[in-house]
Amino acid sequence: MADSTNEFPTTLGADAVFKGQLQFEKGVKLLGKFDGEINSDGQLMVAEGATLTGDVKAGSVRVEGQVKGNLNAAAKVQLSASARLEGDVQTQRLEVAEGAVLVGRCVVGVNGHSKPAGEVRSASRPAELIPTATAKGRMPEPAPTAGKK
Amino acid sequence: MSSSVTQSKAAVRQVICTHCHCATDVALRAMSVFCPHCNKRLILEDYKIDSYYAVREFSTCGDVVVEKKGHVVAPIKASNLTIKGKVQGSVVVRGQVEIKKTGWFKGELEAPCLVIEGGAVFDGFVRIGLPAVSA
Repeated sequence: MADSTNEFPTTLGADAVFKGQLQFEKGVKLLGKFDGEINSDGQLMVAEGATLTGDVKAGSVRVEGQVKGNLNAAAKVQLSASARLEGDVQTQRLEVAEGAVLVGRCVVGVNGHSKPAGEVRSASRPAELIPTATAKGRMPEPAPTAGKK
Repeated sequence: MSSSVTQSKAAVRQVICTHCHCATDVALRAMSVFCPHCNKRLILEDYKIDSYYAVREFSTCGDVVVEKKGHVVAPIKASNLTIKGKVQGSVVVRGQVEIKKTGWFKGELEAPCLVIEGGAVFDGFVRIGLPAVSA
């Protein structure tokens, strides 16, 4: 209990309805309803039963409740089994537990946009236009070449 | 004689057609079958990809593992997918998608369960945990 208080010095209670812009330094635990914008470097926890509507920018975000909006976390986004997130996610690390619902665009990893080494093709180019036979004489069509399991 | 019949009855498994999504019983060792519902060919094998592979459609009722040196540019339909290399395309999986720390993914993803290890790169639209619409 003491750990939880240290981690989240601020708590928005289950019967609280907050509308507006929220800023904090350490951590906030949301138990009720929040409608607005959150901008912080700290930790945000959306507890089970809580509802958050709006965009969030935080250090790390843990979702157990319901979120409608975009999440931007510098470190990590965690979705537990009861979580439901509708919106875009941009973070360095994403954890999705089995049972969680996530619908939206995700950008995860180093800057989110790093390209693999040697990547030259445009992602927007349709796959069927990319020649399967390369100059180095790879087999043109079928079977996922590599050996079976 | 009767024992062989029993054995052959036991040696079946159920797969879901990647085209019409109907359940079908197939022999355990079968590598491909024609779906009795839509008459399209179903591949039942598991695949490991460890080179560049680009096709119009890559669908199997088995599991797909894209190894570190693998690079798949294709729409993928599979039972489970593990990405250690690179994948570009629209992915529909009936089981779990796992993106290892060396994995790189760009495209659309639809699956009931997703695991992304730290260090992996993921850029795309996801639909996780909801009943599949296009699986």
